[in-house]
Amino acid sequence: MWPWQSTVFDWFKIAASAFGLLAMTTTKINAGRILMKTLDDLKRFYDTTLMPDLLALEGQRRGIARKIMIVIIVINVALGLGSLAFVFMESNMLAVVIAVALCLMIGGVVCKLFTRGYVTYFKSLVIERIVHFVDDSLSYEPRSCIPKSTFMLSKIFTTKPNRYKGDDFVSGKVGATQIQFSELNAEYESGSGKNRHRYTVFRGIFFIADFNKHFNGQTIVLPDTAEKLFGRLGRKLQSLNVFRGELIRLEDPEFESHFVVYGSDQIEARYILSTSLMARITDFKEKTGKKIYLSFIGSMVFAAVPYTRNLFEPRLFKTLLDFEPIRRYYEDLQLAIGIVDELNLNTRIWSKE
Amino acid sequence: MYVALGIVVAVLFVIVLIYNSLIGKKNQVKNVFATIDVLLKKRYDLIPQLVAAVKGYMRHERGLLEEITKARARAVSGRLSDDEQVLLDNTVSKALGGIMVAVENYPDLKADKSFMHLQRTMTEIEEQISAARRAYNAAVEAFNNAVEMFPTNIIASMMGYKTRSFFEIREDERRPVNAGGLLGN
Repeated sequence: MWPWQSTVFDWFKIAASAFGLLAMTTTKINAGRILMKTLDDLKRFYDTTLMPDLLALEGQRRGIARKIMIVIIVINVALGLGSLAFVFMESNMLAVVIAVALCLMIGGVVCKLFTRGYVTYFKSLVIERIVHFVDDSLSYEPRSCIPKSTFMLSKIFTTKPNRYKGDDFVSGKVGATQIQFSELNAEYESGSGKNRHRYTVFRGIFFIADFNKHFNGQTIVLPDTAEKLFGRLGRKLQSLNVFRGELIRLEDPEFESHFVVYGSDQIEARYILSTSLMARITDFKEKTGKKIYLSFIGSMVFAAVPYTRNLFEPRLFKTLLDFEPIRRYYEDLQLAIGIVDELNLNTRIWSKE
Repeated sequence: MYVALGIVVAVLFVIVLIYNSLIGKKNQVKNVFATIDVLLKKRYDLIPQLVAAVKGYMRHERGLLEEITKARARAVSGRLSDDEQVLLDNTVSKALGGIMVAVENYPDLKADKSFMHLQRTMTEIEEQISAARRAYNAAVEAFNNAVEMFPTNIIASMMGYKTRSFFEIREDERRPVNAGGLLGN
């Protein structure tokens, strides 16, 4: 028989159920919980609120699409004439290459100029309103993003990107939890000329929230690839990863099969990753079907969810009067904002309020 | 000759590695065990505050408050065997549970700000104790694996190391603790 074996836990349960404070927290949790809106709600919102503006915007989109088509045709004609000139007039190869590059560049710039105002307008008209539809108190800045310093602070990715951009920054308070997230595209480029290599460090949604427990160290949860591929040997390899800190082996086998955890303190990592939080993270991963990266540093939780497509952008050559893309924008936003609920961040029963 | 020497050096090297890793694992177990002790002491330190906060309100639970105060005094005196310590911890836990249930009868106390803060701190320490117990079990698992698995078991038996027991976690404790569940929603 070991000390503190069962009674401590009993006390915890009795205390939790008996406390008036906890009853109060219940209302708080309910108040803080994002009331999941159904697809019917979204459809109604789309039909009544968005539709009139979408109709106006659709006209603008068609105009721009037409202009871009004209630009493309003009460039093609120019290129065609250029190649004829090359064939019949024996001009030099370099001049042709320069001419082609120039054509493409001018075309690109012109297209960018055409669409720039439209994209901003679209975002303020559509994306911003969907953000407010999900939660009224959130603010949206289409051109801002999570700064690079914060991205590095999370310690999720060890490579420092030298090409970093992002947009669609959302911030605000969901219940008791301060959140912010944005789309990011962080790349690392090495070498120059022919040896230039570029690889993606991270592309997707990067999310930050205020965590509900106090802690001092750092705990990092990454998708588990080594253990999945190499089993026990993989685990051994993970424990030798000197860049990451101590390997934390947790007792939830399902969680362990999906994730690998590194941390500065074995006990603190388990304090953060309670049995319930492990189950919630596993659920979240399974529900979204995405890779999930998490880190707990400086009283904050950072989450990175990779995407391969560009998020919250208008489609220029497809009609706006379609519910499908609206649903996708909503679902992408909901995935990020929903992290608060998924990880139960609004439960404030610990000393951090 | 050189080959034989090389083999001897290699074997010695492996032995040293195994020896050190065993010591490391044993110390890890000891270290986490000590942390549990620290956390329990932290909980003991909160008891006087708790008693002070509730005694103005609780008229019918004087016996309970006295019992917990006495138990705490004995626990912090530090002249106890392990078994006595276990018994005392259990007594304290039970008494704490009793107080927390009794709080239900005193709405003024429940609404008291400093008491609420105290309760949050208590919840935090309970979860830290639970985390430390899980860390202890993980450390024991690593240690036991080393003691029982080949080839580390040879060195371990030469060092007189034996497997250690885990904190037993009952079936109902294995389930994820869901605050919502505890709150009855």
